[in-house]
Amino acid sequence: MNAIEAKDLVKTYGGIQALRGLSFTVDQGEVFGLIGPNGAGKTTALRVFSTLIKPTSGSVKIFGLDVEHEAAGVRKIISYLPEEAGAYRNLTGTEYLDFMARFYASDESSHLLVEEAAKITGLGIRLGDRVKTYSKGMGRRLLIARALMMKPRLCILDEPTSGLDVVHSVHVRKTIQSYAKEHGVTILLSSHNMLEVELLCNRIALMNEGRILAQGNPMEIRAKYGAQNLEEAFIEATKHG
Amino acid sequence: MVSSLLNLVLKEIKELLRDPKVLLGVVLMPLLIFPLMGSAMNVSTTAVEQSTKRMSIALMDLDLGPQVEDLVLFIEAYNITVQMIGGESVSDALTQIQGGNIAALVVIPQGFSMNLSSGRRARLDIYTVLRSISVSEGVVSSVAGAPIQSYEKMLVDEAVRQTFPGRDPDTVLNPIDIASHVSFRGKMVEASPDLFQGILISQSFGFPMVVMLLLISSMQTAATSISVEKEEKTMETLLTLPVGRLSILTGKLAGSVIVAAVGAATSLIGVSFYTSSIVGAAGMNEVDMMSLGLAPTPMALFLLGVMMFVTIVSALALAICVATFADNVRSAQSLVGPLSVLVILPSLMLMFADIAILPPAVQVAMYVVPYTHSILASKAAFMGDYATMLVSIGYISLFTVAILYVTARIFTSERIITARLSFGRRGPRSPPA
Repeated sequence: MNAIEAKDLVKTYGGIQALRGLSFTVDQGEVFGLIGPNGAGKTTALRVFSTLIKPTSGSVKIFGLDVEHEAAGVRKIISYLPEEAGAYRNLTGTEYLDFMARFYASDESSHLLVEEAAKITGLGIRLGDRVKTYSKGMGRRLLIARALMMKPRLCILDEPTSGLDVVHSVHVRKTIQSYAKEHGVTILLSSHNMLEVELLCNRIALMNEGRILAQGNPMEIRAKYGAQNLEEAFIEATKHG
Repeated sequence: MVSSLLNLVLKEIKELLRDPKVLLGVVLMPLLIFPLMGSAMNVSTTAVEQSTKRMSIALMDLDLGPQVEDLVLFIEAYNITVQMIGGESVSDALTQIQGGNIAALVVIPQGFSMNLSSGRRARLDIYTVLRSISVSEGVVSSVAGAPIQSYEKMLVDEAVRQTFPGRDPDTVLNPIDIASHVSFRGKMVEASPDLFQGILISQSFGFPMVVMLLLISSMQTAATSISVEKEEKTMETLLTLPVGRLSILTGKLAGSVIVAAVGAATSLIGVSFYTSSIVGAAGMNEVDMMSLGLAPTPMALFLLGVMMFVTIVSALALAICVATFADNVRSAQSLVGPLSVLVILPSLMLMFADIAILPPAVQVAMYVVPYTHSILASKAAFMGDYATMLVSIGYISLFTVAILYVTARIFTSERIITARLSFGRRGPRSPPA
């Protein structure tokens, strides 16, 4: 069974087609990247996969569950981290993690998830402080930990390192890599950072204007367009439409 | 296991009560503002009392007769200092006292004593000196007239005694003793009509005021709770959690109700401090409503509770429904602000008038607004009018169900994510990347 199976996915917002027939599959345990410039349709696609919005046409199945008709079932096995997501500013880091953990575990076992998340964040005693006192990097670590702590079958990450400095970006990337490897969590991420995608993803899909231009592993994509890196490959792909 | 709903409610309460804007604006400000207002009024009232105690008036005696001496003694008995003043004319006398602290000029014209002793009507002029625009000035000037009226009553009593020796002047002047009684809800109430009317009026002001305060603070709290999720970018994460969206909506409603109730409680504590300051300053005593039979019956109280509950839920649902279209707290509060008119207008109108005496078109418009029925039901509770209360509860409940349905539809659709209205931004809105 595929982790994700998208077929002819179309999404229209008030006359504007954000997705124009998106089709791809993601295998279980894979780290799959959607890459493309701003406005390519990456966030719209991730919102459909995470059940936030419904497709205009086409279908998406997450581990065999239809995102439109079995949304409640999908939400039990995924976690989604939106781009620029925030945490509740007036809760402490620990209170935030505890609030989230209680949706996935009983009172008795939720603390185990919180302990797991605390390790992922690496924030130590700062978890006792209110979220509003955190830097952007600290906040993002907290959110990544929230997304991974319950070991979802599919973790959807929208621009996971957007706006972070090198130190925090490296920490977040390492966390994602190790979680996918150690716990078999399938990761679907979006990024316009080609380096990040090349480092993290087993396979990628190049997106532009709501369409997939090419998909495969980074080496295959580079070879296909005779490019030295993914940036060059992307430019070539857009020329060929 | 703590249920998801309880988890959501606890989070809402923590978030709202730790938000400085909510904590200060909804909970703490009423505790500070109302007692401060009461203290300020108390200080002002005490100052007015003090100023009447050490009041001085000027007296211009153009009569020079024996009755004036009596009058001066009478005025001084009221602890008012009388300063005799000369001058060629009234305007001359007024110019003399303008700079001092004399509250009034009493001018006794020539022939005052002669007229009184010969049974004719005697003229006396009081010129009040107003130096500023304030309630205290008015009080001071009325105090100046009081001893003269008493002096007049003494003259009348004396005349009555001479005409009807051995008779009580009060009995002669008021031969009919009018005893007033009030029948309320079919039983006699031992209170004067004035007192009874006063209590009813205070109820018709008090309850609408409480309902108004509670609803407005609830609506603002609910609007904040939903829009802060969008502003802080937590909404999308929340909606992808394994919890029903109706639970999220219910959690927000419940959290807002609890915080609004805390706010209403602190408002009531503040208002009671304010009221007791005013009542204490004015020397009035509290009236025991139970002993007058004016307290609502247990059934009326129960219906009042039901009415308040459905009213608050409908106001919260309405605020949440509207606030879902805003993408930040400020925009949400701007959107919800005009809804307060639906609460303030009926509250104010029904404080001063019964709905039955309003023009028919206004009555219809008022009946359409659900919060009119909240006020009508609260008044009906004191009259024991259960039918009106039940009709009001029914209407508000229908409105609440309709609003909850629309809000639930918004929550279960993608509109909760895509609907965005932000004041101050221009240009076409594009879909997310």
